[in-house]
Amino acid sequence: MPHEPITTLPLTVAVLLSVGRHPVTGRARRADQDARGLELALSMAAARIELVHAGPFDDACEVSMRGYLGMSAGHAGSGADSVTLVDQPSQADVVPALCRTLSESLAPQLVIAGERAEQGEGSGMLPYQLSESLGWPLVGGIVAVEGVEEGVATLLQALPRGQRRRLSVRLPVIVMVNATAMAPRQSAFGPARRGTLAVVEQPAVHDAAQDEWRVQPARKRPKRLKIVKATSARERFKAAAAKSDGGGGQIMKDVSPDEAAAAIHKLLKEEDVLR
Amino acid sequence: MTIPRRDPRRERIARNRCHPEHDVVLTEQEHDGASAAEWTGPNGLRRRDPRQVGFIGPNGIKRIDRSGAQQSATLGTRATRTTAAAATKRHVEIESPAFMVAVVPDMAGGRLSSHDRDLLGLARQLADADGNSPGAVLAIVMGPHKESQWGDAGVDRLMAFEDSAFDGYSPEARLAALEAVEREMAPRYWLLPDASTGGADLGRRLAARLGERPATGVWSIEPTSGTSTGWQCTARGGAGSLDIQRPLARIVLAVEECAEPVDETRHAARPLALSQPLPRLLGRIDDQGRVPVDPAGIALAEAEFILSAGNGVKDWEGFHHAARVLGATEGASRVVVDDGFMARDRQVGATGTWVTARVYVAVGISGAIQHLQGIQRCDKVVAINKDPDCDMIKRADLSVIGDAGDILSALVARVEQEREEQRDAA
Amino acid sequence: MLDTLLPILIFVALALAAIGAWRRIRLWRQGCPSPVPFFRGLAAVPRRYLVDLHHVVARDKVMSNTHVATAGGFVLAAVLMILVHGLNLAEGILGWPLLAASAVMFGGSLFVMRRRRRPPARLSRGPWMRLPWSLMAFSLGVFLITLPTVGVLPEDIGSWVLALLLATVVAWGLGEMFLGMTWGGPMKHAFAGALHLAFHRRPERFSSRHGGEGRSTGLKALNLDDDQAPLGVETPSDFTWNQLLGFDACVQCGRCEAVCPAFAAGQPLNPKKLIQDMVVGMAGGSDAHYAGSPYPDKPVGEHHGDPQGPIVAREGRALLNAETLWSCTTCRACVEECPMMIEHVDAIVDMRRFLTLERGDTPNKGAEVLDNLIATDNPGGFDPGSRMHWAADLDLPLMRDVEQAEVLLWLGDGVFDMRNQRTLRALVKVLRAAGVDFAVLGDEERDSGDVARRLGDEATFQSLARRNIATLAHYRFQRIVTCDPHSFHVLRNEYGELGGHYEVFHHSTYIAELHEAGRLHFTPWKGGTVTYHDPCYLGRYNGEYEAPRNVLKALGIEVAEMGRSGYRSRCCGGGGGAAITDIPGKQRIPDMRMKDVRETGAELVAVGCPQCTAMLEGVVDTPAEVRDIAEFAADAVTHEDTSAADGPSRGGHGDDASPTASTRKEVMS
Repeated sequence: MPHEPITTLPLTVAVLLSVGRHPVTGRARRADQDARGLELALSMAAARIELVHAGPFDDACEVSMRGYLGMSAGHAGSGADSVTLVDQPSQADVVPALCRTLSESLAPQLVIAGERAEQGEGSGMLPYQLSESLGWPLVGGIVAVEGVEEGVATLLQALPRGQRRRLSVRLPVIVMVNATAMAPRQSAFGPARRGTLAVVEQPAVHDAAQDEWRVQPARKRPKRLKIVKATSARERFKAAAAKSDGGGGQIMKDVSPDEAAAAIHKLLKEEDVLR
Repeated sequence: MTIPRRDPRRERIARNRCHPEHDVVLTEQEHDGASAAEWTGPNGLRRRDPRQVGFIGPNGIKRIDRSGAQQSATLGTRATRTTAAAATKRHVEIESPAFMVAVVPDMAGGRLSSHDRDLLGLARQLADADGNSPGAVLAIVMGPHKESQWGDAGVDRLMAFEDSAFDGYSPEARLAALEAVEREMAPRYWLLPDASTGGADLGRRLAARLGERPATGVWSIEPTSGTSTGWQCTARGGAGSLDIQRPLARIVLAVEECAEPVDETRHAARPLALSQPLPRLLGRIDDQGRVPVDPAGIALAEAEFILSAGNGVKDWEGFHHAARVLGATEGASRVVVDDGFMARDRQVGATGTWVTARVYVAVGISGAIQHLQGIQRCDKVVAINKDPDCDMIKRADLSVIGDAGDILSALVARVEQEREEQRDAA
Repeated sequence: MLDTLLPILIFVALALAAIGAWRRIRLWRQGCPSPVPFFRGLAAVPRRYLVDLHHVVARDKVMSNTHVATAGGFVLAAVLMILVHGLNLAEGILGWPLLAASAVMFGGSLFVMRRRRRPPARLSRGPWMRLPWSLMAFSLGVFLITLPTVGVLPEDIGSWVLALLLATVVAWGLGEMFLGMTWGGPMKHAFAGALHLAFHRRPERFSSRHGGEGRSTGLKALNLDDDQAPLGVETPSDFTWNQLLGFDACVQCGRCEAVCPAFAAGQPLNPKKLIQDMVVGMAGGSDAHYAGSPYPDKPVGEHHGDPQGPIVAREGRALLNAETLWSCTTCRACVEECPMMIEHVDAIVDMRRFLTLERGDTPNKGAEVLDNLIATDNPGGFDPGSRMHWAADLDLPLMRDVEQAEVLLWLGDGVFDMRNQRTLRALVKVLRAAGVDFAVLGDEERDSGDVARRLGDEATFQSLARRNIATLAHYRFQRIVTCDPHSFHVLRNEYGELGGHYEVFHHSTYIAELHEAGRLHFTPWKGGTVTYHDPCYLGRYNGEYEAPRNVLKALGIEVAEMGRSGYRSRCCGGGGGAAITDIPGKQRIPDMRMKDVRETGAELVAVGCPQCTAMLEGVVDTPAEVRDIAEFAADAVTHEDTSAADGPSRGGHGDDASPTASTRKEVMS
């Protein structure tokens, strides 16, 4: 007879952290999306939090991990004050090592990840590969975990224009946070300094494919030219002489409030923003 | 096909503007498909009456537009023009393709987006590279769609799955469909838009499922002799900070403007179906539907309809009421926030939030440069202001000069009245 | 009977006062250790009291005289009373001065009484309302019991009833004056105040016999190398013991409250209440007994604390709310006005440090600004490589190229602000007109760390400061000139503790000096009336009130002074990160300041600070145009060829200028 799973155990949430990169100066920092992920985890009451990072343990790593640890002010008992650091060489495929660490030692029911790394390839494949190899479902664009009951998590997913959708998923699950999720709290110096980095060794798998890549700082992409395939002289002339829109809109002066309101109402309906 | 019969008398009358039956004959001809201004002459030549065509230009002078655009517009048959233009396109039919390039467009709003069209352009580059053994571009659509111009976008084969399983959030069902396509057709390339509207997620799921390493953030491809596929690509990495040149992968997630959309050719867009129906599967993710969102709670940067208050707003109760009734997210100018009428997180502008609303209604905002900077990316700006010379009005698409309070309350009354009527009708 | 009763009364009172003192000292010693020169400190008390403290008190003439009479009379009367009535020494001779002293004190107490009849809002009530009566009881009681001693009245006058009555009056006086001093009455200020003067945390702020500036305004550095050291102040016992002693010295005169811009703007801060809250926290209990003006819109009696409890609760209420701390603009108006030399700003920044460094709870845009400072070395998050974009056409000599210059021009973060770029351009024009050999750090410059430090982020401040100091160490220059008083203050007063010692000039001082040296010549002013707004970090922090006015005078401008100017200048509201933390109030501080400007009827406000410029220009419907001193000078500066005719002094100057020209040529080639 199958046993009922014991659901009273505190939920273990693993947050995958990466080394961020400031878009202007390129300095190492906590990655924005991962920090949002940690914020999401911290907002879940009574959750045990495991912070995990896989990658080379260098200065940049330390700076950015301490950035996350600085968010643990007031959450000292939750586990947010310690990072499990899976030490991997710089050009390694961290998925197998991460997979093992997650399934063997941390055993989380909920894994929170960002959508893209700020450094390296930044393909955003890691959560998908984890989902595939762990066999856990994956949900993207999450802004909140509304609750976990009887092994089912209720999640809030972001849609464009601030709209939201509710999903329920059976645990264990991997979720990716959306860029519109709650902004991460400030990272404080004290907890950042006190937090611990627990280094874990795992066998490394060299990512050979990267060897044949040529990586360079991003070039500015050429602006798409408006190619005009005109069939007549008039169209060619029009395309050449076309000026951008916005040279003054319609102005209504000396109208009654009602006429003005009618004009605005018409525009709002045309744009379909009235619900 | 019937042989056109000519009636020399009618043609004569049609030519003779002084003939008493001239107008009648012309009208009859119009019903035949020709306009009063244009008909086929006795020698089979097209004839035009310059007095019947043209329009009065802005200076009161009559203008004749010889491109034909004006004329077809007056006829109100835009379709004829597009078909006429389309007629000039080269028809391409690929009977037995050497390989398939599968494209999964996002179909935001049920139509091909510009991103989707760019992606189809990219697919064509891959399919048409070898003129002797061309591949076919296969578009895979899941769920209902409203698109009709598949051929013009460069689609050779169209596989449309109509199934309720694709409603709402259904990554598992979609992935299963793509897997079925993979099993049956094994496309040489899979192309998906690297966009948050769906392709980015689905493409990665597919890559993980097929065990392929995708090329993500691709923005250009070029043929090369150095790789096994004969293609290499340039992709954005590291959150847009790096360009990675790498061999093209089998699964390609490409960003916007990765290629020029198809323009000169028209393809068959022949419908295609799988031999087997899609398997039913038990999803682990359950979509419970949309959550009603309070417009006031939407972050300004995301809001699509903003009612923004400036120094000219005096009746705050009325303003908040208007925002509630219109369902708009509230914004504010710096001064208003400084004066404590609105919270700091509502401030629009360079020092506040940069907004991207589709409609931005500026109530009593004169438009300081910092504020105008903040609304740069708004589509339509409506200004309600007392001062007809303020900068906001120069920026606005529609400006009304008058008392903000009166106009807002009139607008509210109008919207409420309309809602009332709809309720009565329902 | 009085003969037997009085010594008992006096010595019991003294004994009880001693016990009270011991208990009070134990309260202070809950604080962190802070070494002080014990005897030297005690020896310095008279001078610190009579010179420095009195200098502040004397700003209010009536109150000053009242205090001299009352306090002087009391001290003398108390000592003589102990000798005469307690020890029965030389009764006949000492009795007369005792009579005189108590009479003077009585006279003083009448003035105290008069002020207490309709006390201004800034004064505390409660126990303070009984103080004049207690003073009278003491002085009158002592006077009366001394009359028989000197033989004016017979020894055995009156009955035992009268004697008992007198004894009661004297007991009341003794109770208030001796016991109250150490057990916590209004007179506590005398005991704590005297010791506070002796063991002040900033002994260097007092004048010395050998002159000396008597100014100490730089914040003290936190020791970040020791990871056991607390980061800022979480509980009252995290203050150093002499800070706690300082809080206890408060007389609740409310002068701080009267000058506090945040209080006036209706933000939830009242420096007096803040200090009293610290006293409540030190002793434990609730603020219900506080009898002065509360924090605006914050009722009294809802907050409570204890020495080991948090000052700001994570949730709910503790001793005070975080907004109180974040309302402060660190303008130092309260410190400047405090007759007890209490350091409000130090305490506020100490508490902010805890909130930022330990809690990560800097409000509003604070966290973003700090993140920017960490990632981009400027608060706006701009590309540090674009620092010099504003000066692309000015061809400014870079220190990296020239390696040495007479003047290092510190540009500050104003380089990213289009308004301040105008000021910088003006300053460059003035320096060039005077032929000053100057260079800038260019992209090597970073934020000075001022904002980070005032927001409590000592770690970021020290990181920025250390890197700036390392950069400055590469180059040789005689002085730093800057148009940003905040950078000026930090470079001058706060880098020293981290190993950077520089001669720093505010641009107004430097321009005044150039003018005095005959290197600058101005065309006379033809514009409208001008008033001058003293930046806090230039004036109160660094005592520079004269130079900007001298520059304006040299331009031929007569300054129409505002009611509050000089050391009483009202803050623009932009200091201490207040514009970033943005705590709401009933009105805005810059609006109030512009109202001050309007009252003078001036058409222009001269300023000397980019922050003040930004704040004052942000006021809508501005009555006056805001213009920097540098802009005034640049507009009026005459070209070298016209001033070259001035005489031989120009010759020396020409020599000064030539190295600049040659180095510039080198750069070009």
